[in-house]
Amino acid sequence: MKPGGPMPTRTADPRPPDKYPGRGRYPSYLAFGASGAFLMISALLLIRGVWALGDGGAAWDAYRGALGHPISLVYHGVAFIGLTWFALRLFRLFPATQPYRMGPIKRPADAVLVAGLYGVFFTVLAVGTLFLGGALL
Amino acid sequence: MKTLMLKLEPVIWMLFSSGMMIGALLLPVFILVVALGGGFGVVGGEALGFDRMVALATHPIGTLIVLAAMALPLWGGAHHLRHLWIDLGGLKTDGLVGFLCYGTALAGSIVAILAVVRLHS
Repeated sequence: MKPGGPMPTRTADPRPPDKYPGRGRYPSYLAFGASGAFLMISALLLIRGVWALGDGGAAWDAYRGALGHPISLVYHGVAFIGLTWFALRLFRLFPATQPYRMGPIKRPADAVLVAGLYGVFFTVLAVGTLFLGGALL
Repeated sequence: MKTLMLKLEPVIWMLFSSGMMIGALLLPVFILVVALGGGFGVVGGEALGFDRMVALATHPIGTLIVLAAMALPLWGGAHHLRHLWIDLGGLKTDGLVGFLCYGTALAGSIVAILAVVRLHS
């Protein structure tokens, strides 16, 4: 059974897993990837806002007025839910991406890391909302 | 070129990972307060007024936060969308989709820097 000469190794054609894409963990995996659209669109809309800020008070007021359009409200409502889900899933997966040791210390238990990241997320959301909304300072 | 890309690889990966983290932490705040709070009229006009927003965005810390919230999520989002495309069977067009995704992130980052520079000038 010795080959006559160098030849490529025969392998089966790649095929998706059995439950892909509609069952098991794959829908949430794909939704996590699709959340990239919320990241990009929301960042571009933020750039639009800061650009309007640079154009002066009238442009900023026009930008704020546009945020009250129903399409904007629906998009941002969906994006807020989507990004919150994205953030919590990202933090839940985070421990699996970390090495056994983090610098000089051993990695904390996964539950501790996840709880810490959830705490950071909700703290930033609460403090950021109060600050940007004018309730703090 | 290959050596350069290998040297740049940690920087590129940092853009992706920090983009996800920064986007996950900062964009919900912007959406909740400015887009939804302002859009529904729940957040008062003074809080989101021009003078206050310029003061916040031109403060050194504010500038860093705004710049990070604008530019980094573009890279994290671009990386996610490119890999979603591959997962959905688009490997043959990966070159084009990757170019579009990262090109948008690069162009958006440049515009974000310009937007911040305009505020300070």
